[in-house]
Amino acid sequence: MTSNVPATYQEVFRTDKGVVYQCDASYRLILEFWNTRTQFSARDFAQFRRMVETVDIRQMALSTAASDDVEILTLPRSERCYVLTLCEIVHLRELLNGAKLMLDLNSMLRECGCTLPEPA
Amino acid sequence: MKDLARLRTAIKESVELALNQQIQMEMVSSSKYLAMAGWCDRNGLDHCAGFFYKQSDEERHHAMKLFHYLCDQGATAYSPEVPAVAQEFDSLRSVFEGALEQEVSVTDSINRIIGICRRESDYATEELLKWYVKEQMEEEYIARRCLELIDQIPADQIYYLDKKLASVTYDGNVFDE
Repeated sequence: MTSNVPATYQEVFRTDKGVVYQCDASYRLILEFWNTRTQFSARDFAQFRRMVETVDIRQMALSTAASDDVEILTLPRSERCYVLTLCEIVHLRELLNGAKLMLDLNSMLRECGCTLPEPA
Repeated sequence: MKDLARLRTAIKESVELALNQQIQMEMVSSSKYLAMAGWCDRNGLDHCAGFFYKQSDEERHHAMKLFHYLCDQGATAYSPEVPAVAQEFDSLRSVFEGALEQEVSVTDSINRIIGICRRESDYATEELLKWYVKEQMEEEYIARRCLELIDQIPADQIYYLDKKLASVTYDGNVFDE
């Protein structure tokens, strides 16, 4: 999926499980994870990250109940959902938190009057 | 690269989270005061009941002020979950002790959020919270003064005590001068 990335997408953060892009043309953040690509507004991205952050992974790890083996996460303003195992939740958290860190860094640079170079 | 979050709102995520927690705290306060008003009403303390009904409305107003602020600034305000609150109290004194404890918690929370605003250089939110600082000074004064009156007025003069407690105001706020 990474091979057909539109030219307007700028990579924000990547792990070996997925990648987050930003599209300045559409004001969207794009999450590529689990062979899917999902577009978020900045607000929805923050909301989804919080949703992933609040999953009780300790309960998932300790519980023997089948219902705790997976977590169903509904994507904001979408009919799709992720059904994720504990490991996948951890991978998704790593990706989203890394992306948030880079977005925060971009904000700080802008506040300081600096900007990252536009992609060629 | 555009700063999409900043284009959406000037409020940082940490401030948004803290303000949403404050909205919940104010709504919990409103619910607690309503329970206190109900207890006073049931026990024939009409003036104190009126006082707590008013306090309950005020706390809701405090929450709504923050709710509208977040919405107006492009941030997300969440309608809070309000857990069950105590409906019964041992005495009028314990009602006012509960009120003072609640006000102290709210003051501490407001001060903590101002700390977050300063860390994030969010001067607009800090400016809004200054109103809450003044408000909390009044609220704490009133709750403390009521507890003093409960100590000073003999327990058998319950009608006078009821009337007197409900009339306590804070006219000497130094910030108003």
